Amino acid sequence: MNLDLSEEQEMLKKTARDFLEQECPRTLVREMEQDEKGYSPELWRKMAELGWMGLVFPEEYSGMGGNFVDLIILLGEMGRALVPGPFIPTVVSSGLPIFHHGTEEQKGNFLPEIASGELIMTLALTEPSTRFNESGTEAKAQHQFTNYSTSGTKLFVPDAHVADWMIFAARTKEGITLFLVPAKSPGISLTMLKTIASDKQFEVTLDDVKVPTANVLGKIGDGWKIITQIEEWSALAWCGYEVGSLQRVLEMTVSYANERIQFEQPIGSFQVIQHKCADMVIDIDGARFLTYQAAWKLSQGLAASMEISMAKAWTSEASRRVCLSGHQIHAGIGLFTDYDMELYFRRAKAMELAFGEGDFHREIIAQQLGL
Amino acid sequence: MDFEFSPEEKKFKHEVHQFFQSEPELCAGFMEEWHGGEGFGPRTWALLRKLGEKHWLTPTWPRKYGGLELPYIYYYIIQEEMSYWIGLYACIGTAMAGPVILKCGTEEQKDFYLPRIARGEIEFCLGYSEPQAGSDLANLQLRAEDKGDYYLLNGQKTFNTRCHFAQYHWLAARTSSEGPKYRGISLFIVDLKTPGISITPLMTFSGERTNDVFYDDVKVPKSSLVGEPGMGFYYIMEALAYERVTPVGAYQRLFEQLLDYIKESDKGSDPVIRQKIAQLAIELEVCKLFTLNVVSAQSKGIIPVYEANAAKIFITETEQRLANTVVNILGLRGQLQRDSKWNVLNGMFEFIYRQSLTELIMRGTSEILRNVIAQRGLGLKRK
Repeated sequence: MNLDLSEEQEMLKKTARDFLEQECPRTLVREMEQDEKGYSPELWRKMAELGWMGLVFPEEYSGMGGNFVDLIILLGEMGRALVPGPFIPTVVSSGLPIFHHGTEEQKGNFLPEIASGELIMTLALTEPSTRFNESGTEAKAQHQFTNYSTSGTKLFVPDAHVADWMIFAARTKEGITLFLVPAKSPGISLTMLKTIASDKQFEVTLDDVKVPTANVLGKIGDGWKIITQIEEWSALAWCGYEVGSLQRVLEMTVSYANERIQFEQPIGSFQVIQHKCADMVIDIDGARFLTYQAAWKLSQGLAASMEISMAKAWTSEASRRVCLSGHQIHAGIGLFTDYDMELYFRRAKAMELAFGEGDFHREIIAQQLGL
Repeated sequence: MDFEFSPEEKKFKHEVHQFFQSEPELCAGFMEEWHGGEGFGPRTWALLRKLGEKHWLTPTWPRKYGGLELPYIYYYIIQEEMSYWIGLYACIGTAMAGPVILKCGTEEQKDFYLPRIARGEIEFCLGYSEPQAGSDLANLQLRAEDKGDYYLLNGQKTFNTRCHFAQYHWLAARTSSEGPKYRGISLFIVDLKTPGISITPLMTFSGERTNDVFYDDVKVPKSSLVGEPGMGFYYIMEALAYERVTPVGAYQRLFEQLLDYIKESDKGSDPVIRQKIAQLAIELEVCKLFTLNVVSAQSKGIIPVYEANAAKIFITETEQRLANTVVNILGLRGQLQRDSKWNVLNGMFEFIYRQSLTELIMRGTSEILRNVIAQRGLGLKRK
């Protein structure tokens, strides 16, 4: 029973932190909110050179052979620095399903290029109804000889405009099926959505886009099982990112509370401020342990549906509480964009809503408990 | 990183689990004696003696004093099983007084107390709180005057739980009024049969017994002093450091019983109830992980100050929320007590709804502990 990181993991964490402190200052984060691409190809390349995109893929696919705990540690540092861009959509939401369910050919085609940073991918799953269940999929794919004609509208597709390929969920006559689709195919149109986090999320519409049968991912009609896994991995990945963000919020807040003088003393000496900070500790530690436990179970090849839902429900709601306290303690200055607090506040809501917020995951937990 | 017990630890846990499972009468006996206000009665002592025979009360202690010299995690495993089966997870003797005697006591004190603690033959009660000294423990006033070949004790302790059945008082008394208050405190072990000590019961509104203890010209031998005079406050803090883990077995068991009840009733399909039960499950999981984090640190000999406080706050506040949530799910029947017709689950949650308030206050109020997290854990400045 040991909740510590290994030496290698400590090394990974420190390297990532130092690197991102240099290469991803908050000024870059703000720039990217306005930037058309929304991420820095330069930073992306450097991250790839460090092996980050290949962290969880085996060496045979040019990866580093790491596990989900390693990934969570890395994502925590990325969350701390608020690294913008398609890392989770590419590596977790697309790369992992290809690794677990792709044919050898698909794995060979996609994974090494994901690992090298050359390939950006995203997941086109959610539909206008935004329901996270099977019946919510109305996008269709019709079998026509050697390919499928896919059509439908997807929302909240991250980084669709810079993606090279996407995973597209559609209903065939057998059920839900996943398709690997080149993002620049004729028949695909994109509309950028304006979001609270200024992250690049898109409406993506497919109109009779032809997809060869070889580009079906997993078994035809069996896509929902894979989608459930993708949702679990992606939800947990966002938890990892958010835990790092929240830790940074706490540090900034404590630092500010110790500096800001009112009534002739630092406001951090007032009991209410101290208690809010203590509660932030409880919230963040809860998020961290739940997230690590779930990641650890995955790294051991164990099922972790309950643990992942617990992590996502708690972290989602903890993120709101922590960011609110952060704002209250920063008070006036936190409302302005020359302070980082509001970056974290906005990003937290995006994370909370991605792949299920608290109520959604509590229902999963209720089912797992046998109710 | 490893969130599981090792195979040896699992085996040991199974052994301890089976032991308690095989003693339903003694377990039930403890609960009746404890909740009935008697405290440790004959069945409790019988259970403690059986645990003592296996050296399970003090498994980490040197063999010389009745331990097994096992790693700390084995003690935690036993605590969790005790918590699960009987709700009690520590004796003052085994968990607080014993470790301090082991560290700071004279050879005579070690030989006199430790083996009997290990065998489950004696219990201590904490003698800290006074009417004017609760959270502000350093404000205690009970006087211990050095009379040459004995100390003379005068004053009053309050909220001293276990005094009515324990053999020894683990007493914090003031030996000096010079200098800062906390530097004038010394720690004594007092035989509660000493003339001049009188104990009167205080019943809380949750039916638990604690006590006022009056010291009226009580003479105690010099050998009752623990360690050095004036070091009492430090020893108290030290004793607290050994007892930072809040096991969650009792709450897990309550949750299991709650789940069974919900499944048997028609309430499991109600979406609001599903949300509430799931939220409780999440919070109990966080409680478990907080405890494991403290255990993990203590296993390495690190004293996890702020983490232990965060755990205690969250676990005790979760207990109150658990009781409230369940009582409200049960609706009107949730208010019915143990001996009432129409009660649910033997009125257990109604009882905990009241009793949980004690937990929020004992061993450091939530408010004090939040101060400690903020000041010592985060480095926020004091006024």
